Amino acid sequence: MRLLQTFSTSIGTKILIAVTGLGLTVFLLTHLAGNLLFLAGPDAFNRYAHTLTSNPLIYVAEAGLLAVFFVHIAKTLSNYLANRAARPVAYTTHRWAKTKNPASRKSWASTTMVVTGSIMALFVVTHLQTFKFGPVYEGADGIRDLYRLQMEIFGQPAYVVFYLMAMALIFSHLWHGIVSATQSLGWYHPQWTPRVIVAGRVLTALIAGGFFMIPIYTFLLSRSAQ
Amino acid sequence: MAMTITLNVWRQAGPSAPGRFESYTSDKVHPDMSFLEMLDVVNDDLIRAGKDPIAFDSDCREGICGSCGLVIDGIPHGPDPGATTCQVHMRRFRNGDTITIEPWRAKAFPVIKDLVVDRTAFDRIIAAGGYVSMNVGGAPDGNSVPVPKELADLAMDNAQCIGCGACVAACKNAAAHLFTSAKITHLGVLPQGEPERYRRAAAMVEQMDAEGFGSCSNEGECEAVCPKQISIASIARMNRDFMRAATSK
Amino acid sequence: MTLDSRIPGGPITEKWDRRKFENKLVNPANRRKYDIIVVGTGLAGSSAAASLGEMGYNVKLFGIHESPRRAHSIAAQGGINAAKNYRNDGDSIYRLFYDTVKGGDYRAREANVYRLAQLSVQIIDQCVAQGVPFAREYGGLLDNRSFGGAQVSRTFYARGQTGQQLLLGAYQSMMRQVHAGTVQLFPRREMLDLVVVDGQARGIICRNLVTGELESHSASTVLLCTGGYGTVFYLSTNAINSNVTAAWRAHKRGAYFANPCFTQIHPTCIPVSGDHQSKLTLMSESLRNDGRVWVPKNPGDKRHPSQIPDSERDYYLERRYPSFGNLVPRDVASRAAKSVCDEGRGVGDSGLSVYLDFADAIKRFGAPTIKGRYGNLFDMYMRITDEDPYQVPMRIYPAVHYTMGGLWVDYNLQSTIPGLFVLGEANFSDHGANRLGASALMQGLCDGYFVAPYTVANYLGGASLPAVSTSHDSFKEAVAAAQARIDKVLAVRGSKSIREYHRAVGALCWDHVGMARNEQGLKGAIQSIRSLRDEFWQNVSVPGEKNNLNPALDYAGRVADYLEFAEVLALDALERHESCGGHFREEYQTPDGEALRRDDEYSYVAAWEFTGVGQMPTLHKEALTFDEVHPSQRSYK
Repeated sequence: MRLLQTFSTSIGTKILIAVTGLGLTVFLLTHLAGNLLFLAGPDAFNRYAHTLTSNPLIYVAEAGLLAVFFVHIAKTLSNYLANRAARPVAYTTHRWAKTKNPASRKSWASTTMVVTGSIMALFVVTHLQTFKFGPVYEGADGIRDLYRLQMEIFGQPAYVVFYLMAMALIFSHLWHGIVSATQSLGWYHPQWTPRVIVAGRVLTALIAGGFFMIPIYTFLLSRSAQ
Repeated sequence: MAMTITLNVWRQAGPSAPGRFESYTSDKVHPDMSFLEMLDVVNDDLIRAGKDPIAFDSDCREGICGSCGLVIDGIPHGPDPGATTCQVHMRRFRNGDTITIEPWRAKAFPVIKDLVVDRTAFDRIIAAGGYVSMNVGGAPDGNSVPVPKELADLAMDNAQCIGCGACVAACKNAAAHLFTSAKITHLGVLPQGEPERYRRAAAMVEQMDAEGFGSCSNEGECEAVCPKQISIASIARMNRDFMRAATSK
Repeated sequence: MTLDSRIPGGPITEKWDRRKFENKLVNPANRRKYDIIVVGTGLAGSSAAASLGEMGYNVKLFGIHESPRRAHSIAAQGGINAAKNYRNDGDSIYRLFYDTVKGGDYRAREANVYRLAQLSVQIIDQCVAQGVPFAREYGGLLDNRSFGGAQVSRTFYARGQTGQQLLLGAYQSMMRQVHAGTVQLFPRREMLDLVVVDGQARGIICRNLVTGELESHSASTVLLCTGGYGTVFYLSTNAINSNVTAAWRAHKRGAYFANPCFTQIHPTCIPVSGDHQSKLTLMSESLRNDGRVWVPKNPGDKRHPSQIPDSERDYYLERRYPSFGNLVPRDVASRAAKSVCDEGRGVGDSGLSVYLDFADAIKRFGAPTIKGRYGNLFDMYMRITDEDPYQVPMRIYPAVHYTMGGLWVDYNLQSTIPGLFVLGEANFSDHGANRLGASALMQGLCDGYFVAPYTVANYLGGASLPAVSTSHDSFKEAVAAAQARIDKVLAVRGSKSIREYHRAVGALCWDHVGMARNEQGLKGAIQSIRSLRDEFWQNVSVPGEKNNLNPALDYAGRVADYLEFAEVLALDALERHESCGGHFREEYQTPDGEALRRDDEYSYVAAWEFTGVGQMPTLHKEALTFDEVHPSQRSYK
């Protein structure tokens, strides 16, 4: 079976979505780790950002990340349309089967994957505008002072609230996404899967919690600095 | 102690005809009736009144043939876990209840009339590879190949599938993954089915897609409505076998 | 016409080998030139279609269901017998043969039964190779259990769903042939007539149940695998759509109907709860391995079972049949239940049930063990009755379950119409007057996988079969007749529902041709059936149209056939002045109430020839000889 053919099947599609989703989760983890350097002060944070962006390989990495995003979104979109087509006439009354049998993993998170994902895609654009392509302040040693930018942005309550809402979406998306990806990739084990589910949700909470903390911390820091 | 029940039933004259809900009330419902016997009673009254009775499929009425299947108040096969529509009894409802009844809805299961749908897509998935390729006459002695009990039990857990299509009906994507994976698992874990395990998985998945079923969102609503409570572990296994098939050719 | 059973010569152990060798063969390259029609997709039909398809014939498979997998073989629970002797407990082909002839109360053909026992061994091998997940032991070998009163463990099973697994095995093999192009599926088709051209069965007329269109299909030969006629009783364990129509229409075209009065009443069914009931649910008789059957000693004792002390209980099977106890064969157990209920000792609101009590077994083995053995049955019982069998005894009552009678066939499974073969429950051949547990699945698969492929080939190889197209006059005549009947029933536009007639004919059969029969009752029943039939054609209300999906119209056609068939059923019971197996004539019983067989006069197969609706059919007798198993009174004491 040719590869392209494989990945156009319903299972192949979901495998690609799972792989790219897990890839994006790994990206989020590294992104969070970097962001947490904010806690270490302006020097460390700015130097980290500079080292990262001044490495020529960053363009390769960025291109790769963009490709992963693209595949994740494009495959999800085609998958979504195919799934819509699979049920042309909707139910008039529809209830979650979970209400009759708790075996189901259905949740608000799983039901709204497309919605949370779409909004997150838009968020990524504004996020890049705000930071990556935002005002460039020159800091010590002539490197970019991202620390200052972040202090400015998250000094504004509206931004904080906006980011917290966006992070809530990430939380929701990963809550189903991580566990779902393991199933798409065929990882199921009667003993291990219940633990994987818990681990996936703990990981989700850690990522989202970390990202929650940053705007709040920055906001409080900026207030106490005034 | 008869109950009064009002039904909101999907009526559709034919595959391409527009459908609509119609309402019927019966005061002859008894708590010991099965859901389908309740429909029999409503139908007999419709027939006596010279009206077209509600068409629905049913046969064995003991939960094994897989013919019956109604979405009852938004849930395939109604409120009882591990049961088919024919096994739901009216004692599950209260006097005065209004019940909405819809057919399975999926592109691959076109409505034939009212609540009767065409599930022959499932037969075509089986025809694509859901068997062991062996001819009558060539079998070795039944005990010549030992099968570990755990595997035989796992095969049986999956072989129990009755092909009712509730998994498709419950899935938000109208996916047939649970049905297809149950057969792939049943045959794939047995030594008799092992030689063509990956070829089978690839062929059945291909047919499943061609029929117009959706993909799996890993929510497990199918498992929750499955009258035989087949686990979505089988779907994971199908995904594995499918990947193996894709990478080995 | 004299009935020629065409049993091969030679010792019984060699008859089938001899027949296989004598048979004509069809060259593999020529097989695709033969069209074979198979009607019915249960065990017999699916296995025959699979097997013939594999051999290279052109098979057309017709069924009333949307999918072949829904045929009622799927509902068989208990298991399938095979003389494998895997348990080293003394089983053999000869013993399975002996048990089956004896269990059938000496009204089966010895040669057929021996072949069945011989081939039983191959069936298991075939099914295992197909991937049927039979129960296994930890060592990986096949598990067996003792079933239905057998003294040896020869029953193979797949949890409580053996029929399902065997049918799915056959269905899958058959679908493989669909994929290969040798089998063509015609789902949702009801056979309405057999087309006979120059004395040979050459095709069928069927109704497309979705479009209402009448279709003609021609072929070289026709295999009927359409199951039994149990739903003539209205309430039975058969599926709602099971019917006698195909067999009956073939009968009207010249196929004799044999031993219709041999019907099996299964002892362990869930009792009737009310008028609304559409069918009865069987619980595997394996329950009798651990459950004890009892009723109160005193008539009218309405106390809760827990209030009735052991001394006031009558474990009547253990009392009357000390050596077999609760495991006596089905006919004996059913009749015993009826007689204690007739004495007013039945339990439940209706007084028409007996207790099947697991309290002792739970005490001995513990509830988890019992749950392991019967969990799914207990759940099913609880779901239907809302009572918990772990706490209170189950209530059971006999129900119509299987019909041993059917179209007459010779040793080759060919009916009295050349080219019409009848397989599985639809024929009469192997079970005599009573079928043993776990033997129905065996027979269906034996006929389909291992008998018909040889005998059908022999017919095709030997018969002169000029080309016949569906434009032949016989097809036109049959289509017109089928159309006229449909138009006629739709035109009645009376005031009673079809179900009312079905229920009425069912009640007549149950009351007078059920577990106990007598001359007066049978004569009265025949009169009542005739007048009910007349009334049906005056006053039935069939809604809807003929040119679309109309389940009510399908149902009306089936009930109309039952109203004709029921008469032969009663007539056969009336004519057989003896008691044997499932046929119990009250006039013929031993002083202690057991069945009294009359071998001198009734050791024959009664095959009825159709002469017209309401006309007295002609009786043909096929004498039965017993060279191996000498008839004796069955004793389970």
